[in-house]
Amino acid sequence: MNNNEWQRVSRWALVYFIVHFAIRFFKGGFLNLLPVLVVFVTQVEQKWFWAQIATSVAVVGLFVYAFAYFINFKYRISSEQEILLNKGVFKKERLTLKFARVQNVNIAEPFYFQPLNLVNCIFDAAGSNAQEVVIPGVKLNHAEQVREQVMAFKAQLQQESSDEQVIPDEAVSSSQTLSISNAEIAKFGLISNMAILALAALAPFINAIFEFLETAFIDRLEAVFNEQAVFIGSAATMAIMVAVLLMILVAVLLSVVMALVRFFNFQLYLQDEKFKRIAGLFERQQLSVSLEKIQSVHIKQNVIARLLKRYTVVCPQVSSGGAGVASAHKNKQTLVMPVLTASQVRQVCSWLFPWFIDLKELNFIKPERALLYKNTVLYALLPTCVAVVFLHSMFDLLVVLWGLLLLPALVSMVYLSYQKTGIALYHHENRYFAVFKTGMLGSQYRVFEVYKAQSATTTSTYLMRRSELKSLYIQLASGSVTMPYLKCNQANQFVDFVLHEIEATQRSWF
Amino acid sequence: MFSNQQIETLPQHQRIQFQSLADNAIWHVQINWLIFYLPLMAVIIAVRYFNTNIASSIAPHWLLVLPVIVLLSLLYNVYSVRAKGIAVREHDIAFKRGLIWQHVTLLPIARIQHTEIHRGPIERKLGLATLRLYSAGGMSADLHISGLTDKYCNDIRQFIQNYGCDERVKSDESIDE
Repeated sequence: MNNNEWQRVSRWALVYFIVHFAIRFFKGGFLNLLPVLVVFVTQVEQKWFWAQIATSVAVVGLFVYAFAYFINFKYRISSEQEILLNKGVFKKERLTLKFARVQNVNIAEPFYFQPLNLVNCIFDAAGSNAQEVVIPGVKLNHAEQVREQVMAFKAQLQQESSDEQVIPDEAVSSSQTLSISNAEIAKFGLISNMAILALAALAPFINAIFEFLETAFIDRLEAVFNEQAVFIGSAATMAIMVAVLLMILVAVLLSVVMALVRFFNFQLYLQDEKFKRIAGLFERQQLSVSLEKIQSVHIKQNVIARLLKRYTVVCPQVSSGGAGVASAHKNKQTLVMPVLTASQVRQVCSWLFPWFIDLKELNFIKPERALLYKNTVLYALLPTCVAVVFLHSMFDLLVVLWGLLLLPALVSMVYLSYQKTGIALYHHENRYFAVFKTGMLGSQYRVFEVYKAQSATTTSTYLMRRSELKSLYIQLASGSVTMPYLKCNQANQFVDFVLHEIEATQRSWF
Repeated sequence: MFSNQQIETLPQHQRIQFQSLADNAIWHVQINWLIFYLPLMAVIIAVRYFNTNIASSIAPHWLLVLPVIVLLSLLYNVYSVRAKGIAVREHDIAFKRGLIWQHVTLLPIARIQHTEIHRGPIERKLGLATLRLYSAGGMSADLHISGLTDKYCNDIRQFIQNYGCDERVKSDESIDE
């Protein structure tokens, strides 16, 4: 396997580079060009002509750049257990990645490589996209050999460094699987917020879209409604409402398509203490995650998921900064199980945590009632007073009374949020696990082994100190968790316990 | 082998004796604050002086509010610096801060990924430094402690660097025994 000669990738890798740079352009460059695009759509005459010119220049530029990149791209698996990469067009780069620093070796099979039996071999250095090395267009067996070589070296290193680590015998030989049907995956399109994102992406063009809709759709619809005497009210209003509803429908449809592209034919295996996930429509992405590298498990159910009785489970690894789960979600190395039933959640979580029970059965410590009072004042009474004063200055008393209806709605939301906040500890075979619960209409659970915490902070205001209360903040390597308004001694004990677990546990946390 | 030993001694952080920041720390905070706010106040006064429209809408006695705010802020800074404290223990570093919101952060040394020491021109003049300690996953430094003496910062950094080595030496010695 070791080769001191520089190797070129297959000529079909050129397709990968073209697709890769096109995607990068759309993800990064497109957003930067958005203001130009808005000016183009709203100001430029002869749009079609100039669009053709711009597209032709961009496509030629993309092909030339991808070809130059392909010519300069060389790799070598050296005898010193490292991967060397020569790449770049304007700025030549020599990249060295030692096997010891590789976290995972993933194999992705894009649809355009499938007839050729070629794959992309992806080396993840530290759980972040920025430190990912991809060798595109290599033979599948070659990629698997490289993966085995890297993993064998890693296993040898790990054995040398920690002789204490004991792997249960049954786990080594066991292999469990989970498949999610595409009909279920489509539900993720409904559950996730991709539809809102799709609508947000259309926001800069909303004027142009409405102009188009008005001429092509709304005017005709208005005429149809005018003919129907049964409709009470303005035909124009009805036509606009139908148009808006249709736009939302299109966005939801787009969201379903995006979910299918990402998670098509989702399959998950547990083998040798590792999750292996294969999914994707255009690119069969193979992700491999060691159980010990998972920092926390995030089980969430929003309102739509609650109606559909489904859950989403996210298993982030170490994230290189970012706002917790939000950034972990975007990380390619985060294992996302998009749509699971309650029994599937129990099945998957029992692979991770042998003790796993229905989390609703856990004895959660709730925050003190002072939190409820504070939130009622801050998030219900205060906004209602502001709304009433605002309405009073503009409308008559009747409208102000309608404004008062805001109060019970906000109070209910505050109460639901208070009810769904909690913290629980679970002890299993000398290992301690923490479960943080949050939510309002939906619910979210964050489960992690206590020793994986990074730091602990307590916060208190003057009033909280008078009532002997503290809020708790735990920093994890994959985000953070908070528990507001605990009794002072409970918060202190929890922090002390977290410190004890971190400082006394000898196992590696990543 | 199954074991379930009772934990007798939890590291009780509420008994920590925090050490105050360096004596010069207050000067660093006050100078930094004045460098930002004095030019801002000068701009406000200049705008009021040269712009007749603004001059007519702001009565002269309102300008007295500006030095009052400065004085109150200087007083707040004194108490804020006094409220800060650091403690380096065998296995972790604790830092408390805040007057209205009081925070106590505990960062185990085993989780520190890297350490940074910053010294700006004012800090260099006052013999101070800022210590930044990073663990994994955070957006910025877990601990950001300014107003420590340069020597103390370097001592803490050395202590953190030696931490893993000392632990290994201890375990090697216990194996030899």
